[in-house]
Amino acid sequence: MSEEIVDVPFEVYRFDPARDRAPRYQRYALRLAPHTPVLSALLAIRNDLDPSLALRYSCRSAICGSCAMVINSKSRLACQTPIGPELERHGRIVIDPMRNMPVLRDLVTDTRSFWTNYRRIDPFLKPNPAKPMPEGRPSPMSPAEVARFYETPRCIACAACYSACPAVEADPMFPGPMALAKLYRFVVDPRDGGTQERLVKIQPGGLWLCLRCHLCTESCPKGVRPSERIMDLKELAIAAQGGTETGSKHAVGFKENIRERGILNEMRLVRQTSGFGGMIAQLGQGFHILRKKRELMHAPKPIEGASEVQRLYEALDTEERR
Amino acid sequence: MKLAYYPGCVAQETGKELDRSTRWVAQRLGIELVDFPNFSCCGSGFIDEANPVLNVALNARNLAIAERAGLDILTVCSTCQGMLALANNRLQEPPIKAKVDAALSQIGVQYRGSTKVTHLLDVLVRGIGVEAIRQRVVRPLTGLKVGAFYGCHLLRPADRIASESPEEPHSFEDLLTALGATPVLYRGRVMCCGFPILFVKEATASRVAGIQIDDARAHGADAMATPCPLCHLSLDAYQNKAEKQVGHDLDMPVFHLPQLVGLALGASAADLGLPRHLVSTDAALRKIGAVAVPS
Repeated sequence: MSEEIVDVPFEVYRFDPARDRAPRYQRYALRLAPHTPVLSALLAIRNDLDPSLALRYSCRSAICGSCAMVINSKSRLACQTPIGPELERHGRIVIDPMRNMPVLRDLVTDTRSFWTNYRRIDPFLKPNPAKPMPEGRPSPMSPAEVARFYETPRCIACAACYSACPAVEADPMFPGPMALAKLYRFVVDPRDGGTQERLVKIQPGGLWLCLRCHLCTESCPKGVRPSERIMDLKELAIAAQGGTETGSKHAVGFKENIRERGILNEMRLVRQTSGFGGMIAQLGQGFHILRKKRELMHAPKPIEGASEVQRLYEALDTEERR
Repeated sequence: MKLAYYPGCVAQETGKELDRSTRWVAQRLGIELVDFPNFSCCGSGFIDEANPVLNVALNARNLAIAERAGLDILTVCSTCQGMLALANNRLQEPPIKAKVDAALSQIGVQYRGSTKVTHLLDVLVRGIGVEAIRQRVVRPLTGLKVGAFYGCHLLRPADRIASESPEEPHSFEDLLTALGATPVLYRGRVMCCGFPILFVKEATASRVAGIQIDDARAHGADAMATPCPLCHLSLDAYQNKAEKQVGHDLDMPVFHLPQLVGLALGASAADLGLPRHLVSTDAALRKIGAVAVPS
């Protein structure tokens, strides 16, 4: 089967912090088949055109997780991204190093913060007295138990999610999607004894900074769906501890807010999340917004059929769930 | 075209200008909006954090209300769109469907799963069509460079809810072009506005917003436009906080999607509730020759 060969304009980020004052983009023109992976194209550049290009790779088969980079503004594995569709959408291929971490040279980044955040979650099984380990081996799990975290061990720690995450970008306190997805894996593992302690430890300044933007899920090459594992963790944290953090107070407060009228009472929500102290802290911004939006002062009328909503709560938001 | 209009909480409260401009545009384009005063909140993603099955049930009730009337739902909020569409998706999972059906039966409601949920953006671009809209333009937004800002829940998770590519969406830009504006492509257009954690950690949320506004500005945008009133709150009502985080003035007017459509179709600033914005839209209005009304 023959395939058409096409012209592929590349623009590749180049930066050597020891020598360059600022990063620049270097252009390369290649002729390649559309199915060619970006990684193969970069290796062709390095081997045939410019041996000074630095990049990290190993297996070329989406297993080692080494070649994550930003391709036309999306964080993904270079070995798993064919050039054809990129060319169709953008007419060129722009390559940047991963975001949210320092550049060592060209496309090679310093991933230390990614790994430090991973270590924050204690990524190992802790002994569970209820599930002793005969002869030092973990006890076997049932298929149903495994099914709860089947996707998560597929993670190859490529850090594409970490690079794509706007919460990591804005706040160094946020451990990132991969660390939290791994945390979920240990929290629901029946062999692990640290569930409660893990849920307590991750909440302040960690779990509740997730923006629910799902950019990590779109960037994950392995279908781990980190954002959905984080949603699962939030549900487990609330089920175990209720609204104890600002984040969980906000989620629980919002839920209770809607129970009342079926529609959001905006002013009341601030008090539910932040208490009276928080309301006072928000006063300045409240007045700022009130200048143009007076509705903030008025509680909305309940929806018609608000009692139906309340009965759904009674059926599904039972005592043990709260 | 007749649709069950789901305004969502914010468009009925602090984002009333979105409701007003939606009704103006719908009337002008012959979209009949049917109101349902018994629609509840979509949960805004927060109820999904606290109790995902309850979240699906609340939205299944909304979907059932429209189904009973034989109508599909029109949303004007990326988050409402995402939550209602997510409910349709999650009802495919038998254990969730069983719990939700049982709860709905207690209030005498049945949802067969036939209600489609469509955002105004989709109705304009694919329902009415950009060409038909172009022909209705009386005040082209010529010279106005606009950064579209999609809002996460319109796009992701794509396999569950999206109607177009989450990475390379273009419906908003297509619409802007039809209105005579120049769309600006920038990375931030598919990023997060920060709103979900605005009340959890304001500094972080505002920094996220500031990064996207800065990005739009760096790519030449005179204004931004969003199909989501929560993004609008974060980008407009809290822009003063974003300025503190990025350390400089932003002065970026932010339009709701139907406001820009309305301007191109000849609406006045007052028709569209523009004086209700926290960041003045006057500079953008002057650029397209629309008279700015003093607020």
